[in-house]
Amino acid sequence: MLTRSLAVNGLVAVLFATGFVTNLAIGTTYIPFADVLSALLAFNPEDFNHYVVVYQRLPRALIAIYVGAMMAASGLVTQGMLRNPLAAPSTIGINAGATLFVVTGAFLFDLGLAAQGVAALAGAATGFVSCLAVARLAGGGKDPRGLSFILAGGLVSMLYVALSNAVLLSDPARRSDFLGWITGNINHVYADRLYQVWGLGAASFLVLLILARPLTLIMFGEEKAASIGVNVVWTRRLAFAAVLAAAGSAVAICGPVGFVGLVVPHIVRPLVGARFSAALPASAFLGALVCLLADLIARQAFPPYVLHTGIIMDLVGGLIFVLIVKRYYLAPNARPAK
Amino acid sequence: MLRAHQVSAAYGKTEVLKNVSVTFGAGRFTAIIGPNGCGKTSLLKAIMGFLPVSAGDVHLEGKPVKNMNRRQFARRIAYLPQESHCPEYITVGELIELAGYARYSMFGGAGEKDRELFRSALETVGLADMAGRKMNSLSGGQRQRAWIAMILAQDSDIVLMDEPVNHLDMKYQLGILGLVRDLSSRSAKTVVTVLHDLNLTTAFADDVVIMQDGEVLTSGPVAENITPENIARVFDLDVEVFERGNRLVCLPRLGDERRAQAC
Repeated sequence: MLTRSLAVNGLVAVLFATGFVTNLAIGTTYIPFADVLSALLAFNPEDFNHYVVVYQRLPRALIAIYVGAMMAASGLVTQGMLRNPLAAPSTIGINAGATLFVVTGAFLFDLGLAAQGVAALAGAATGFVSCLAVARLAGGGKDPRGLSFILAGGLVSMLYVALSNAVLLSDPARRSDFLGWITGNINHVYADRLYQVWGLGAASFLVLLILARPLTLIMFGEEKAASIGVNVVWTRRLAFAAVLAAAGSAVAICGPVGFVGLVVPHIVRPLVGARFSAALPASAFLGALVCLLADLIARQAFPPYVLHTGIIMDLVGGLIFVLIVKRYYLAPNARPAK
Repeated sequence: MLRAHQVSAAYGKTEVLKNVSVTFGAGRFTAIIGPNGCGKTSLLKAIMGFLPVSAGDVHLEGKPVKNMNRRQFARRIAYLPQESHCPEYITVGELIELAGYARYSMFGGAGEKDRELFRSALETVGLADMAGRKMNSLSGGQRQRAWIAMILAQDSDIVLMDEPVNHLDMKYQLGILGLVRDLSSRSAKTVVTVLHDLNLTTAFADDVVIMQDGEVLTSGPVAENITPENIARVFDLDVEVFERGNRLVCLPRLGDERRAQAC
């Protein structure tokens, strides 16, 4: 199993690297792979192709990588910690909370770009805490399959998205700036935000990797984990802080992107196993790859129009969401989530 | 030596443990018995620190366990809950490797000594060639043996088990309790097990703790405490207790047998 998970991780990493270079090569004009590589490794400002790769395509690709990796890692960890196959930043209020705070901050309080990033983190935390509160009100503790938590997340998301829309509608002059962002879009305009927050995302990912073993044990249940020596309370706190930072910062860059966080973990676990030490890197690579491909499709499907990456992923993601529900909740031999 | 000293605990307003004092002898196999809801599981959970105690405390070698952190505690006491849940896609080998968590450093993992222990744990429960199998693909009996191997791999000197043979057929009940008894007799571990079956208790346990309504009615060696009087008092059952081939057998009298005797 160990060698297999290493092999799969290696394979996904290679696929990711290929997707990265492909994403940079394909566009309005095709740029040969060799040129892409030399642009990355030995940048020549005089070369037009190099210029296109580094200043136009690379920022988009880096955003796609960041968002994909952060969302997939966050989804994997929330699914494990809540022991719920439907948990992901988009289904437990994190994305919606971050969206509301960014929109409100920008429209009502005239926050600058950096402050909007901070607002996104605060919103991610608020969305998650609201979801917890609603689930508790609905008697979440007595619901062995954890569905109430996801329903609470849906409710909180609807509320926060409605509020975000209300705020957007209040200012017709500026709402078009945010219309692309709020559907979850990968756009190089937001590259500045990426350069502000990537360190935070990297640190969060590192924290999750360090916590890999105790997090794996928490999937066995709190008491079992504690009996084996895990400090459950602090592991949870640190991991949720890391998830909120990772997902919140991703939303700050390109709006609420849903599908990756929910679905990628379901693809990864059967391949590498459930241990976080193996599943976290694989999820990050695969999430990044999925976003790079979705970005490529969004740019190339209907030229000269560029679709929104978020819309592509929501279309596919909705379908897969149905499959997951069917497998875990509606199948005749459905296993309880706990 | 593990000792609960005047422990009381409650779930909300329901008192589940009332002033319980009991000592579990080192290297002994102790069975906790009593009717449903008498506080057997609560006693284990109070010892583990999962059920907050309102009074009294739990001592290990004379020192209160509440001063120990979870890692130190895990190296002394292992716990098998009534029902264990394994996440999907975990293999038996991975399960065993996780059991050593309290011994690993933050960035390190299992060393050569740990791996030797893991091998012997799987051999002991008869799953040596199953390390690569997914937990959820095993049969109920195999899975329960894997959980016990996980307890062995934790390498604690005290083991608490909550009904380890529930839902298993008789062959596996005997096999698993045999394994558990070997833990105390061969590996000198202190074993405390909640059991329901009186005959399994008399067949495997050294000592018994009989509980009723959150209190300890009596405790001590099996032979002195499994008596028709105690059973009648706690379980409200008419039981004949007799010796057969060096062990006690408890045979409940059914309703019509009782009537026949009265005639």
